Amino acid sequence: MSYCVNCGVELCASAKECPLCNTPVINPKNPGQGQGVSPFPKEKGQVETVKRKDMGILLSIVVLATAITCGLLNLLVFKATAWSLAVIGVCVILWVIFIPAVIYTKQPVYVSVLYDGLAVSIYLYMLAYMVDSFMWFWQLGFPIVALLTVVTEAFIFCVRKLPKSFLTVGLYSFTALGIVCVGLEIMIDLYVHDAISLLWSAVVLTVCIIIDVTIIAMLSIRRLRNAVRRRLHF
Amino acid sequence: MKEKAEHKEWYQLDLSAIVYPTLQRRDFSSVYRLSVLLKEEVNPEVLQQAVDRVMPRFPTYKSAIRKGLFWRYLEPNNRPGPFVQPDVKNPCQPMYFNANNRYLIRFYYYQNRISLEAHHSLGDGTGGMCVLMTVTAEYLRLHNEAVIENGGFVLDINKKPTPGELEDAYMKYANAKVCPPRPGEKTYRVRGTKEPFYTLNIIDGIMPVSQVIEVAKRYNATITEYLNAVLLYALMTKQEEEWHFKLRPVKIAMPVNLRRFFPSDTLRNFITMIYPGIDPRLGEYTFEEIVAHVRGYMRYYINEKFLRGDITTNAATQSHPLIRLVPLFLKDFVVKQFYSKVQDRNSSAGLTNMGAMKVPEGMKPYIERFDICMGQPFSRRTNCAIISFEDILTINFASSIIEADVERVFFRKLVHDGIHVKIESNREMITE
Repeated sequence: MSYCVNCGVELCASAKECPLCNTPVINPKNPGQGQGVSPFPKEKGQVETVKRKDMGILLSIVVLATAITCGLLNLLVFKATAWSLAVIGVCVILWVIFIPAVIYTKQPVYVSVLYDGLAVSIYLYMLAYMVDSFMWFWQLGFPIVALLTVVTEAFIFCVRKLPKSFLTVGLYSFTALGIVCVGLEIMIDLYVHDAISLLWSAVVLTVCIIIDVTIIAMLSIRRLRNAVRRRLHF
Repeated sequence: MKEKAEHKEWYQLDLSAIVYPTLQRRDFSSVYRLSVLLKEEVNPEVLQQAVDRVMPRFPTYKSAIRKGLFWRYLEPNNRPGPFVQPDVKNPCQPMYFNANNRYLIRFYYYQNRISLEAHHSLGDGTGGMCVLMTVTAEYLRLHNEAVIENGGFVLDINKKPTPGELEDAYMKYANAKVCPPRPGEKTYRVRGTKEPFYTLNIIDGIMPVSQVIEVAKRYNATITEYLNAVLLYALMTKQEEEWHFKLRPVKIAMPVNLRRFFPSDTLRNFITMIYPGIDPRLGEYTFEEIVAHVRGYMRYYINEKFLRGDITTNAATQSHPLIRLVPLFLKDFVVKQFYSKVQDRNSSAGLTNMGAMKVPEGMKPYIERFDICMGQPFSRRTNCAIISFEDILTINFASSIIEADVERVFFRKLVHDGIHVKIESNREMITE
């Protein structure tokens, strides 16, 4: 039986310190102190996950029904063009986007973004098939979707794995914005003129680089960082 | 059979229960915990059998919460469960309404302890204690072949629930001719470092009832009055130790069990809050003055007349025809704003006293003591809950801040007054 020298309370056999004042318990006459069975479990619990199975089933049925009925309507009634592909493509995108929200909540975010990119690509391919022109898909549509997917994946990786603060998220965002704009202009130029001549994206990139350099300076100089934090706190 | 309750498809939330779901956050639910510590280790299989046999007796606890257009409501839940599970270090975790097979009740076991956690929208501590005691009695009957008579908190599981057990007792007694105003003064708020999500610091103080009675008598007070005064003293000391631009009154939110004043068998919420406190701006208080102040306040306010007025004020809002017509999402928004801006700031800490637990004679040899936890506080502060059985009084502090200053001053004061206090905690603060 040990007591806290500061608080005067008796401590249970498993206590290594007083829970009230954090004074370590040192009792030469009781070397077993701190070894007893804890009155509380050691394992931490987790909040139960919310199952949205019903919502997932409902959403899947609605999306599937829409796709099938539009497909049948296209096949049997309005046969002039393959318009139902546009609706079916939207259904696929909706379903893929909602997978992580309502169907499989444990899906890694990287896989979700990849699936979203794939779904949008499939949709664009369907549109290309519908209008019977694949050149814009291969030269413009698919590369833009691929670029956005890769940049989004990289941005998520940076936010999750690298140091995260108001400033660093700004750094990642402006870098991503610069890359996307330059990539977009390169692809548009290649598609339209068959040659690269950067114009508007160069301006955006320059502004992004200036902002990035400023943020890096703020991040690397603690005094500067603290000054900015003081003045901009909200 | 006259008293048999009609089969109900759903239950309206009672007057208190309406508020608790609106306060729900990702990291907060109004969940309380009641525990009974037996004299032998708990057998989880038998406990599960007892839970399965007892739960149908408590339809409002075997229910799920649903959203209507204007109000939430409870509907019977026939999904599998609730299942007993090994206890965890961080009790009273948030209870999401559509998780855990939609049950708003959990059963835990750890060594010789059986714990029940329930969402406050199902009922108050008295209702929860009826569930826990009935489960414990059934467990002891199954496991130890104990002969335990029904009565008190132990209900007969072979009988149907009576309409009185399921009623919203507030509306029966909300008939005062005037609605007294609610207290609305900003009080001292404990400053502290917020613990990360999933952490609830528990400190249990275990002491002999006889010693506490003796000390309380010395101050000419009851146990509740004395412990209230000690908590106010601890909060006042904490405020004095911190730097403040201006001092604020120190108040405690204390639920009063209305069943003591208004006859009712309800197992749902039937409590109201009173706010004993002191105002350090008026001058320095000695401990004796705090006790005198609390004693005067409690003896003046805790009576049938004032409590009836309080119930009427609360009921007036809910029964107003225009308010009833407002869609639920708007009600949620307004109630949440009101609670966080006004109600939560009315008090510096919470304190509840379940009083001395009475159990059937056949159960006494198996029970060591009881424990009660008010659960996660809505804002950064500490909640204190008291319960006693035979000669053991347990005072439980639950807090979501790292510092244990209030608890330290509280228990040191008890020790200083000559009470032997044993401390148990789930905190692990030592730096290795």
